[in-house]
Amino acid sequence: MASQQHSLSYVGCNFLRQRLVLSTLSGRPVKIRKIRAKEENPGLRDFEASFIRLIDKVTNGSRIEINQTGTTLYYQPGLLYGGVLEHDCSPSRSIGYYLESLLCLAPFMKHPLRIVLRGVTNDQVDPSVDVLKATALPLLKKFGIDGEGFELKITRRGMPPKGGGEVTFACPVRKVLQPIQSTDPGKIKRIRGTAYSVRVSPQIANRIVDSARSILNKFIPDIYIYTDHMKGTSSGKSPGFGLSLVAETTSGTFLGAELASNPQGQGTAVLPEELGLNCAKLLLEEIYRGGCVDSTNQSLVLLLMTLGQQDVSKVLLGPLSPYTIEFLRHLRSFFQIMFKIETKPSYEELQGGEKVLMTCVGIGFSNLSKTIK
Amino acid sequence: MEEKDRKKHHKKHSGPKADKKRKRHLNDLGLGDDEDARKRNPKAFAVQSAVRMARTFHRTQDLKTKKHHIPVVDRTPLEPPPVAVVVVGPPKVGKSTLIKCLIRNFTRQKLIEIRGPVTIVSGKRRRLTIIECGCDINTMIDLAKVADLVLMLIDASFGFEMETFEFLNICQVHGFPKIMGVLTHLDSFKNNKQLKKTKKRLKHRFWTEVYPGAKLFYLSGMVYGEYPKQEIHNLGRFISVMKFRPLTWQTSHPYVLADRMEDLTNPEHVRVNPKCDRKVSIYGYLRGACLKNQSQIHMPGVGDFTVCDVSFLPDPCALPEQQKKRSLNEKDKLIYAPLSGVGGVVYDKDAVYIDLGRSHAPQDEKEEVRPNHELVQSLISTHSTIDVKMASSKVSLFMDSKPLGSEDVENQEFVMPKEEKQIDLKTGRVRRKAVFEEENDNGASDEEEGQDEEMSEDEMDGSEDGDGDDEGESDKEMPGQELDLRSAKRMKREETTEEAAGELPAFADSDDDLEMSSGEEGETDLDESKEEAEDHGDKEESNEKESSDSDSESSSRQISKFAPCELGREDKERRENHNLDHRLGKKVVPTTDSGNCTAEEASESEAEGSSLEEEEEEGLNDDSEAEESDRKGIQSAPEKNVDGVEWAESKVVEDEDGGDDIENLLKEEEEYGEENDFSADTAGALKWKEDLTQKAAEAFLRQQQSAPNLRKLVYGTVAEDADEEDDADEELGGLFHVSRPDKESKQKANALDCSKFPVETPQDWDLDEVMNSIRDCFVTGKWEADKDAAKLLKDDEELYGDFEDLETGAVHKGKPAAEGDEAGSEGEKEDKEGKEPKAEEEEEKNKRMDKKRKLKEMFDAEYDEGDATYFDDLKEEMQKQTQLNRAEFEDQDDESRVQYEGFRPGMYVRIEIENIPCEFVLNFDPHYPIILGGLGNSEGNVGYVQLRLKKHRWYKKILKTRDPIIFSLGWRRFQTIPMYYIEDHNGRHRLLKYSPQHMHCGATFWGPITPQGTGFLAIQSVSGTTPDFRIAATGVVLDLDKSITVVKKLKLTGFPFKIYKNTSFIKGMFNSPLEVAKFEGAAIRTVSGIRGQIKKGLRKPEGAFRATFEDKLLMSDIVFMRTWYPVSIPAFYNPVTSLLKPAGEKDTWTGMKTTGQLRHELGIRLKQKKDSLYKPIVREKKHFNKLHIPKALQKALPFKNKPKNHEKKAKPTKDQWRPAVIREPHEKKISALLTALSTVHSYKIKKAKLNHRQHLKDYLRKKHKEEEEKFKKQKEAKKKLFRILGQKEKKRQKSSLKGSREREK
Repeated sequence: MASQQHSLSYVGCNFLRQRLVLSTLSGRPVKIRKIRAKEENPGLRDFEASFIRLIDKVTNGSRIEINQTGTTLYYQPGLLYGGVLEHDCSPSRSIGYYLESLLCLAPFMKHPLRIVLRGVTNDQVDPSVDVLKATALPLLKKFGIDGEGFELKITRRGMPPKGGGEVTFACPVRKVLQPIQSTDPGKIKRIRGTAYSVRVSPQIANRIVDSARSILNKFIPDIYIYTDHMKGTSSGKSPGFGLSLVAETTSGTFLGAELASNPQGQGTAVLPEELGLNCAKLLLEEIYRGGCVDSTNQSLVLLLMTLGQQDVSKVLLGPLSPYTIEFLRHLRSFFQIMFKIETKPSYEELQGGEKVLMTCVGIGFSNLSKTIK
Repeated sequence: MEEKDRKKHHKKHSGPKADKKRKRHLNDLGLGDDEDARKRNPKAFAVQSAVRMARTFHRTQDLKTKKHHIPVVDRTPLEPPPVAVVVVGPPKVGKSTLIKCLIRNFTRQKLIEIRGPVTIVSGKRRRLTIIECGCDINTMIDLAKVADLVLMLIDASFGFEMETFEFLNICQVHGFPKIMGVLTHLDSFKNNKQLKKTKKRLKHRFWTEVYPGAKLFYLSGMVYGEYPKQEIHNLGRFISVMKFRPLTWQTSHPYVLADRMEDLTNPEHVRVNPKCDRKVSIYGYLRGACLKNQSQIHMPGVGDFTVCDVSFLPDPCALPEQQKKRSLNEKDKLIYAPLSGVGGVVYDKDAVYIDLGRSHAPQDEKEEVRPNHELVQSLISTHSTIDVKMASSKVSLFMDSKPLGSEDVENQEFVMPKEEKQIDLKTGRVRRKAVFEEENDNGASDEEEGQDEEMSEDEMDGSEDGDGDDEGESDKEMPGQELDLRSAKRMKREETTEEAAGELPAFADSDDDLEMSSGEEGETDLDESKEEAEDHGDKEESNEKESSDSDSESSSRQISKFAPCELGREDKERRENHNLDHRLGKKVVPTTDSGNCTAEEASESEAEGSSLEEEEEEGLNDDSEAEESDRKGIQSAPEKNVDGVEWAESKVVEDEDGGDDIENLLKEEEEYGEENDFSADTAGALKWKEDLTQKAAEAFLRQQQSAPNLRKLVYGTVAEDADEEDDADEELGGLFHVSRPDKESKQKANALDCSKFPVETPQDWDLDEVMNSIRDCFVTGKWEADKDAAKLLKDDEELYGDFEDLETGAVHKGKPAAEGDEAGSEGEKEDKEGKEPKAEEEEEKNKRMDKKRKLKEMFDAEYDEGDATYFDDLKEEMQKQTQLNRAEFEDQDDESRVQYEGFRPGMYVRIEIENIPCEFVLNFDPHYPIILGGLGNSEGNVGYVQLRLKKHRWYKKILKTRDPIIFSLGWRRFQTIPMYYIEDHNGRHRLLKYSPQHMHCGATFWGPITPQGTGFLAIQSVSGTTPDFRIAATGVVLDLDKSITVVKKLKLTGFPFKIYKNTSFIKGMFNSPLEVAKFEGAAIRTVSGIRGQIKKGLRKPEGAFRATFEDKLLMSDIVFMRTWYPVSIPAFYNPVTSLLKPAGEKDTWTGMKTTGQLRHELGIRLKQKKDSLYKPIVREKKHFNKLHIPKALQKALPFKNKPKNHEKKAKPTKDQWRPAVIREPHEKKISALLTALSTVHSYKIKKAKLNHRQHLKDYLRKKHKEEEEKFKKQKEAKKKLFRILGQKEKKRQKSSLKGSREREK
């Protein structure tokens, strides 16, 4: 053997995606023990199994071992392969759950990835496809991942609990990433959004828009919220509605917020007006947190900075989310990289909360899967 | 005499000088320059053809762009590592001599034997690491990968040798370092012309191999076994000004060319199992890229390892501090070569060993020789390691105390529980007293605080401890000769002449220790010299100073005092005091980190009760505890007590810290309160809010106690200064709601995995103040001063308004500033008046400058706009990135910088590696370079690697698929089994049995994953030497994968057993209906070329099927199907472990043998199949029937095509038939003679004819001439005649005229 495979060991199913993604990128095997070992229903859940299946699909030669009860997972990564794929996501989590990891992996495949994901497009737990499309894609573009085949298309919407949505994600392949220096978030120049409704009255979307605008109009006049009412086959299997808002700044930063209605048969019915208002407030919260990247994409930007050339990258973030903090720790254990973390108090009043300046030197990652001719 | 000998001056007729002169001359005449020519003759330079002009323009542009290199970000560190100079060449060419001469040239030191790399300071900005490369191909490959500059020695009297070309080819594959040829043995040429010719020939051959114009240096000959000084000096100059282009592999991977190696294995383990895996530390300059802790490395010749610990040490061969002199000071000309046993200062992680200078050498040289020898012998003869010696050594703490065995120490250690530190302290005190006696003698007594005292004492203690240890070692070694050695060893360093030749054994580190320690013994134990006493005094004083400083400052300072860098400073101080002979204690030097950690740990445990220990163990920063546990065997009890003291200290520190914290908190609380008051005022009287404020403050306080730093929150440990931490404390508001990471991660081990960051306490966005808090995030809000459009406009106006102002008078503008001055400094009345105009002027000047700058910027922008190309933009971007990279971590200290960046190239690092095979240590040979090559992510994994490969044109054989071969790829050398393939037009990878002769082909093997685009070379074997060229193939990595796509052709055959019209039933191709089902629809063919298709399987004979063809088959036809079968590649990856071989046999590594080799060795002949043998082919004569054309048809044919009934020619009749005449020998002779005669005759006739013809020709020519002459004569005669006739006529006419006149008369 080439070397003692120095595998990393973790406990618990939390941050499973991070671990598998980082393991795939760094080539270090990972072992996760005691997955819900003490619960009544131990082992991996169906959505996690589906995620592992997805990882298996996009890679070539990875070894996955799961014990009888599903409480222990050993993953020895292969090489990222890509190509044209399809995947049926488990409806217990939304497509965003899977897509977030794919966004991390897609630029480093052997063949450009073009994948059709089926399942729940919008739910209350994970970042929805709309928000990812509006915030994560521009973020990737900053790193030089751009071009013809870079798109995220929502062909069908599916709401929980039954899903039925469909999303096409395509991403070109890059050998190296560019370093970024985004320390100036700029000023918000416009707010865009999508109010969607499926299998309910199309009027609901309009009601959401009105209520959301009522708050946002106090800050900026340039607001446009699209109403997206899907019908027939493209409306999925369950009824629902929701709103996703994105604020764009002068320097190309996108801050997103979203809210979806309660799934059918769970919880009380939500008034569209209330949902619109709350969503607008969530956006304001996000703006208050600020930074050059919104809170859901913090880990993505940090990962891409890590995987850059051996140059300094900087990014200004809002307060670090627990997910990001754990991600930073994982980055350290997988890539031996530490970020320089500086808190930046907002110098001027009325600009939201404190910001964190993250600085790192890339590890000089290069896409080992890509073929040269 | 001399004047006669002097050459006469020759005017130059060609060359640059002559050209210049000619030009000047022409200029004088007024018809000079080219430009003038353009002016003089504009027509000649006019546009003749637009097309042609376009073409030339294109061409020039093409040439221009060809010259561009892709701009890269310059990542070279500000203080680069020494340039690695590799000296290569065949044996006996003068490599070692050259190195020695170079070292002597640069450092004025003479090395006798060179082992391993030698680092020297060659200039103000440059250091060199010179290393010799033997002729072992392993060494050549390894060193070619790390070389910055190659000095290629060539024996001119012999010419090029295979080694030279091999090395050049290795270099070409692994990135081409700078190569400089050096011709030696030029004195063996007696004939000057011969010499010149050889030089030229060699130069041109060298140029074809490297690049035209490559530098080739000539060393004319040896004088007393050395090269001429001047030539070496010139060579040195060339080396020290040379520039290097970054090589891809080297700049993207960290690597270390090891200077020094030390075995750190626990001696107990070695005793129990001498073959146990070892732990070693390796020292050297880090080169290439940044190295991270815990990263994967490869040691060529040994294997893959994980770095278990890295630390950086003070530079043992540092560049001189900036000074304005042109040349180096003598004392800055450092040399460092621990493997060869030279080098001033040796740094370990926690100790500094300083070479004793000349001044400290003992005066008597008589004594020196013998013990020196004995020392060497004893060192050579000892086979036990230091640790073993340690175990059985005895320490005498004081001159006349009872020696302490290691058992005693250990016993003490084990007996005493950790908590009982007082006892330790006591012993410490006793010892301290002993130290202080000296000081008191010197009158350097102090009245410091107890704490400070302790600290200094600790240091002393530590040093003594170390001494004690070392003493123990040497004691055991040579119990009798202690005293002698002390004096002798000091000499040894200074003496680098002949005696040193056989001096240090290869395994240098242990005896380094020994030397140093014994050297110190001489000082510390004997206490005879006053100098030493003073030295101690000085040191004490310096400590006092520092401690008093630190007292006044924050307590963190005190901790930082222990940092190695600080140590270095102290060291320098001491050096200034000419107290070179000091060694710092081994154990008194915990890292800053650990100090901080303990303090924080304690405080946290007090505050929260939550333990951070786990986190800290995981942490990057090595804890002192861990280290200690590593060294338990070496440590002694007093050291323990030192720890104790430290601990106590840290407690104090922590207390102070705590105090600070509290103060800060109070302050912040106040601020916070104020803020809230303000908000309360604006918002009106909201009662609950006040309460909230308080609550928030409390929460804030709590948080302050629990999470002092965000960085700590994330990574667990803090390496930054305490001040910074405090700052962070202040900055951190109640914003971060994340509680302790450990607890959280434990609690949430099985929690929901979601990246969303839900808002825990949503703010009430209906309130105005809350809304206002983000008002400025929008374009509608207020802008920053430098971006606000209105303000910018105003600024511009001001600037231009100023312009007008300047003309009218600027006094008006200057005033407000002056007023401000007044207000600021009221006391200085006299100055004020002088200042006022000055300030005015300055302001004016500033404004003018400002305006100028602005104008210039505008101009630049305008000017550059048209000129900037894509290339320029790219370059500028890279430049920017470079600057950013340099600036980002510039102001941080190395400790924390290392954590973010990793260890920078240029640092001197100590790398600890575990699980190294014992053979590496046992068979260590310093002549073979040790290289640590860092591996990127997943470069340590294995998979299938696809290459583009070409057999080297000088390699005599072709390569066979499945023959094991040794690749050199990346850092590695390994043996593997490649498969050669070629890509068909449809992208299929078809297996080849042999590599093509003069073509590229693909190759796949199972081995380490290496980035695409990396070059490689292949050799059949690394053992021994062959006269032939050894490099078998070269190429590049194309692709990495976990599966392979190589296929080979497989033909399945079958036979028809039933034939209908075009349908046949075929059997024998498959074995079961299932197989048939798989191949339904596949194309098949008969040998005769009838194509068909598989239709459906039959039930009856297993594996038979129905097939249709384009024509009816015959029963004798063979049907076959062409299929492609995937090849499997044996997963064989065998690293070449040449460094593990015993010394002297390192070039004899053999791996797996090829089948051919095995057969040859065992004498097994290949049994050939009967079918493959070549036999004479016997073909039956094929009989064809006559062509029969029916009569009816014949009739219809045109006459031309009708078969004609030719009558057979009759045999010649008897009279026509003539018998052959057979001559008798005699007759033969006659006829031969006759033919000869006739030949002669005919020749004669021919000749005569020729002669006759010639004569005739001559005759004719002659006749022609005569005739011409005759004709001429006739003509002339005629002319004469006619003239006479004419004259007569004239006369007659005249006379007739006359006559008439006469008649008239």
